[in-house]
Amino acid sequence: MGKMTGTSNIGQIDELQRALTETIERARVEQDDREKKKLILNIEKYNSRIDKLRSGRMISRQTRRDLIAYSFIAPNFIGFCVFTLIPIIFAFALAFMKWDGSNPVSFEGIDNFKRLWGDTFFKAAFKNTIIYCIGTVPLTMIASLALAIILNQKVFGRGIFRTLAFFPYVASLVAITSVWKLLFHPSKGPVNNILYTFFHVPQENLPQWFSGGLCVLSMILFSVWKYMGYYMVIYLAGLQGIPGELYEAAALDGAGTWNQFRYITWPQLSSTTFFVVVMLTINCFKIYDVAVMLAGGGSGELTVSATVLVYYIYQKAFIDWDLGYSSAVAMVLFVMVLLVTIIQFRGQAKKEA
Amino acid sequence: MKKKVISLMMSAAMAATVLAGCGAQAAAPAPAAEVKEEAPAAEEAPAAEEAPAAEEATEDAGEPVTLKWAIWDESTTQYWGDIKAAYEAKNPNVTIEMVDLGSQDYMTVLATELSGSGSDFDVVTIKDVPGYATLVQKNAIIPLDDYISKDGIDLKKYAGATDQVVVDGKLYELPFRNDFWVLFYNKDVFDAAGVDYPTNDMTWDEYDALARKVTDTSFGSQVYGAHYHTWRSTVQLCAVLDGKHTILDGNYDFMKPYYEMVLNEEKDGVCRKYTDLKTEGLHYSAAFSGGDVAMLNMGSWFIATMMTNLASGEYDSSLCGNWGIVKYPHAEGVEPGSTLGTITGLSVTTACDTPDAAWDFVKWVSGEEGAAVMASSGNFPAIMTDEVKTAITNLEGFPTDDASKEALNVSNLYLEVPYGENVSEINSILDSYHGSIMTGEMSIDDGIAAMNKEISALK
Repeated sequence: MGKMTGTSNIGQIDELQRALTETIERARVEQDDREKKKLILNIEKYNSRIDKLRSGRMISRQTRRDLIAYSFIAPNFIGFCVFTLIPIIFAFALAFMKWDGSNPVSFEGIDNFKRLWGDTFFKAAFKNTIIYCIGTVPLTMIASLALAIILNQKVFGRGIFRTLAFFPYVASLVAITSVWKLLFHPSKGPVNNILYTFFHVPQENLPQWFSGGLCVLSMILFSVWKYMGYYMVIYLAGLQGIPGELYEAAALDGAGTWNQFRYITWPQLSSTTFFVVVMLTINCFKIYDVAVMLAGGGSGELTVSATVLVYYIYQKAFIDWDLGYSSAVAMVLFVMVLLVTIIQFRGQAKKEA
Repeated sequence: MKKKVISLMMSAAMAATVLAGCGAQAAAPAPAAEVKEEAPAAEEAPAAEEAPAAEEATEDAGEPVTLKWAIWDESTTQYWGDIKAAYEAKNPNVTIEMVDLGSQDYMTVLATELSGSGSDFDVVTIKDVPGYATLVQKNAIIPLDDYISKDGIDLKKYAGATDQVVVDGKLYELPFRNDFWVLFYNKDVFDAAGVDYPTNDMTWDEYDALARKVTDTSFGSQVYGAHYHTWRSTVQLCAVLDGKHTILDGNYDFMKPYYEMVLNEEKDGVCRKYTDLKTEGLHYSAAFSGGDVAMLNMGSWFIATMMTNLASGEYDSSLCGNWGIVKYPHAEGVEPGSTLGTITGLSVTTACDTPDAAWDFVKWVSGEEGAAVMASSGNFPAIMTDEVKTAITNLEGFPTDDASKEALNVSNLYLEVPYGENVSEINSILDSYHGSIMTGEMSIDDGIAAMNKEISALK
């Protein structure tokens, strides 16, 4: 395509140029933010149109730049769409339907959600997941912060202790659950042996760590131990980002250790804490592997006292092939995570304001 | 290409014969850890299969057909390869392509594979009834009734097993393997305690008394009179052997006496604790071969495992080499020999392009010829004839006493899980509350009440 700057084009360009100057003038004096934004958009539009007419190309320079930018995003975005976005939308739709993966889909309205109310296993899974979250999130946070503060000081063998605290996080889940099961074995494990020998707990009252009400407690203890190393590293990074002058100044003003923590460390760490709490909560809601490994006992089946939401989703979807109902349970999980995250974001925004 | 495959098969079969000549030691030991839960996994048998006679004159040399067949644990289970070799030798135009989906969650993986329309399996093995029900509901497998009536197959030879998996008057699978539950016992343990062996005619009360008699709870030299694996079947399903109840009933009060028996035994140290077993993940084969368990109720697939692993030295024969089997104990007033069964069947998929060829394979495997192949490696085919029984009892390593031979005569066979609507959900619910009762989370009454409530809530 050659340059076709005919008379009509020149006229058009002039017209646009005039409109552009006018808009720029208006934008300069405009007070309202919203209006101003609109005008700026218009300026861009005029610019690109003038550009297009001048160069005589079908695609303006700006559009071309945009296209190039999109092409860089495309590989990732297409993958995201195919493997994440579309399945999520599909799961939303499925929650209102009945489908077994092969036969035609039938619309059920909110029947799937109504069923949740009367479902003992769902209620148990819901309860266990909530208890697990309430137990794990604060405990892990406190433990990892305490570790980080201790290991941020110049203590003997700091490197070794940091590594040791981080070790459970990198160790294979299957291997360490086996070790935990040995330690907490109901009749042969050292923990129960200590209880029996030194604390004289009668044999029939020895705790059954992996069944009944203690099951969720075992899961909480295990998770705190396994994941505190990871969050410790995040807190360590946060601690090292606090300028030393703040502590110096506080010390000069006579602030003790507690006051230094209360008024310097904790507020300075607030964005780190926010990140840690969000990640922890989301990860806690997703609990599945720990429950199956600790309480599944070979067959991987969880009883009422150990079942969790993700396990129930799996069971309904791939064992009973009730994909609609399973999606409905997944929606409940989604809403829970969403709610918690919104609340936390709100709280964070308020703090920063 | 086709010829190459056939000649490969032939040489493999010949190699098998040579191995058989070398004796049992040559059979590769199957590690016990690989005997997966639930899998009626039969390992390499002491005597390998006779090489099928080469049939030069092909009967029906039709178009070359390839059948894709879903199986599990190919490396530790001998009969898959035996069946393939024997069938291909008979039908040179057919190639059987085996796809191993693993035994751990075989039916779940299979149901996923057969979902939608992208599947290319022709024949699938059916491992359990809940999985079978799922596949039928998903329209993944076809009813075989037309073929059965066309080829005049007499279902009576399956001794009623096929009646229990009929769905709305249609049969979707033919069994080729039929395992039934027996009582394994360790003769050395009984000898040491000076107690008489169990017999083929015991009531549950007599069995319980016997278990208590051989038990030794003194620390360091414990002997457990009985052992119950963590499956629901080992406790709960003793109750359905009276022929009056099934697990589809919706009311499970009849299971109470059996839970009481086992939990009382647990309390008195007669058997290992359920919670211990769950925590350790102890496999029943490891428990029985350890030599401190007097009696174990288990399926007949364990017979082949015992014979193989004793022959290979995997199990210490000084601990468990002197073993026997007797019939399952029975309820008062019920005929001895009433026992639980599990069938393994074959089905033709809806997606199969050559259903006639697939049906021919299914028919052959579940018929008399397939039965002979199964029996040759110590497995129990679905068609139990006297020849099959003789073939198995004559295998090297099978207990030599008469009671053990007699134990193979089953009078009534009740499937662990017969077909019923919602059978998959019922199975999950019963499994869950079985766990709750056995771990002591719930009392027996509460657990059974919960079963009743949850299952009657299903439509």
